[in-house]
Amino acid sequence: MAGFLRTEAGKGLALSAPASLYVGLLVAAPLGILVAYSFWTQTYVEIDKTLTWANYLEAATDPLVRHLLLRSILIAGAVTAATVALAYPIAYFIAFRTHKKTLWLLLITIPFWSSYLLRVFSWKLILGFNGVMNSALISLGIITEPLTFLLYNEFAVVLTLAHAWAPFAILPIYVSLQKIDRSLLEAATDLGLTKLERFIRVTLPLTVPGIIAASLIIFIPTVGDYVTPSLVGGSQGKMVANLIQVQFGPANNWPLGATLSLVAMASVGFVAILFVILATALGRRIR
Amino acid sequence: MTTQNIIEISGVEKRFGTFTAVRDLNLTLKEGEFFSLLGPSGCGKTTALRMIAGFQDHDAGSIRIGGQDMEHIPANKRPTNMVFQSYAIFPHLNVGDNVAFGLRKLKLGKAETEERVAEALEMVELGGLQSRKATELSGGQRQRVALARALVMRPKVLLLDEPLSALDKNLREAMQFEMRRLQQKLGITFVMVTHDQYEAMTMSDRIGVMFKGQLKQVDKPEVLYARPCSQEVAAFIGGMNFLDAAVTGEVNGKLHADLQGFGPLSIDVNPNVARRGPQLLAGIRPEQLEISAQKPDGYDGYLQGTVTNAAFYGENVHYHVTTDGLSQPIAVSVPNYFHTVDHKQGDPVWLGVQNASVIDLGAREA
Repeated sequence: MAGFLRTEAGKGLALSAPASLYVGLLVAAPLGILVAYSFWTQTYVEIDKTLTWANYLEAATDPLVRHLLLRSILIAGAVTAATVALAYPIAYFIAFRTHKKTLWLLLITIPFWSSYLLRVFSWKLILGFNGVMNSALISLGIITEPLTFLLYNEFAVVLTLAHAWAPFAILPIYVSLQKIDRSLLEAATDLGLTKLERFIRVTLPLTVPGIIAASLIIFIPTVGDYVTPSLVGGSQGKMVANLIQVQFGPANNWPLGATLSLVAMASVGFVAILFVILATALGRRIR
Repeated sequence: MTTQNIIEISGVEKRFGTFTAVRDLNLTLKEGEFFSLLGPSGCGKTTALRMIAGFQDHDAGSIRIGGQDMEHIPANKRPTNMVFQSYAIFPHLNVGDNVAFGLRKLKLGKAETEERVAEALEMVELGGLQSRKATELSGGQRQRVALARALVMRPKVLLLDEPLSALDKNLREAMQFEMRRLQQKLGITFVMVTHDQYEAMTMSDRIGVMFKGQLKQVDKPEVLYARPCSQEVAAFIGGMNFLDAAVTGEVNGKLHADLQGFGPLSIDVNPNVARRGPQLLAGIRPEQLEISAQKPDGYDGYLQGTVTNAAFYGENVHYHVTTDGLSQPIAVSVPNYFHTVDHKQGDPVWLGVQNASVIDLGAREA
């Protein structure tokens, strides 16, 4: 045994053991259990462990599942698009237009100093029927009746998530902008390009990896978010994670919940890969 | 060759806060000239180049290119193109797209663009490498791509910022000749910034030597070497022995002076000298001195001393010779004919010098 640990392979195994154990226990094992559950059946209080495709069949045929999954992907897509679009100018400003980079990066992380739940509740206070927004608009005389389309819908979910995830988009884009050799920009100018042309032909293609990273970091977790839709989404803002939560909670159908989780995971993976391929190809087309 | 002026710089000044990077720069360059700005790092040569390119505004004076005042013309509209020190090859584009980068803006049409790219790559001996990735290029190839990308725009003036400093010695020497050949073939004015005196001398028609933001001397390489305007310039270009001399008289453009160690000599007055003082500073190039165990015949001045150091450099042998009353040993360089070091440390030797080899450098600098 001691002799084996001295070999190259033994040393490698020994060194990777803590990480392997960690990943095995906390990622692979739960995922394995999830996969196992998805092939079982709930029988009132017991779990019937006969393997069956029934859960997958139900997930595939139930229009509610399809509807919620599609809505989740669309909402997450909207959140991603909005966040990246808003984050890019901020990241650009920090990378190119200010010398106080550390200060700005610190300011951007300040929202993280408070709990996510608190931030979602603040949006409720801002967007609510008697909320900050409505009272302000009424007292300014712009509206007479409180606006009801602000809260408890997809819009509120997108707004809240876009705000919460902004730093995750700003940071990777900032890093990719920061990495650009400034002489490349001068070379583009030297070769006759205006600032806008230079941005489109040099800066943008060089930040495609940052945009992809930011998009994935936001898209993947927001598809599965259930706190935000349950707090500010109302009935039309519900997402697939809310359905999954119901299966593991009130409905007490763990196998179906497990199946829905895996289906959601696969869908997200598929959309994400498609996005990476598309974005990379688009970036390459710019010459 | 035409003798039209392509660049006229007059009274140009550039300040960064309280620091003056370039002061009172006056320079006229002729069409088809290979000009180098030579100086130590921080002397303002790169700032001067960047002002010509338009990456930096000037605070005073005027820059004219091809007769046109560049005052309000931004970098992207100037008839200049630049080869950057880092080469600035676009990493997301292949070689062909890098070279075509500026042409695409001109909307020349696919066929003409491709033709000009191919021609430019051919010119820098990278023909057919259009689809090679930028990240797969060697240092020398990157340099050639940067050159092709600038030349394909057919600029009136090509600006080169330390273009060879990132290359290893052999490649650098090969590129020196190649760039010179290219420049002569195209007849485009090249303005190069360098801190390497040999690079400047081998490639340029004329060299401007800059110190502390000021252009000290502009001359052909051989004139710069033979008649430097000051101690500073003389010390920067090639090796030089500095000796004090007491002037005893001046007749027909010749200074009669008693040269430290060598005795009375007749020195040609150097017309380039900017500053005179009570005492004369004379310079002698190490390779212009004769060294011998016996007193050599036919020299105008002699010095008897002892070898303190002998070193074999390959193409030549370097000696240090000292004698009583000299603060610094005299450096002597002898071509290597027989692969031998003839004088050992401690050997008594004679040094001989001709009148014509002694350079009048005006006054010693503080």
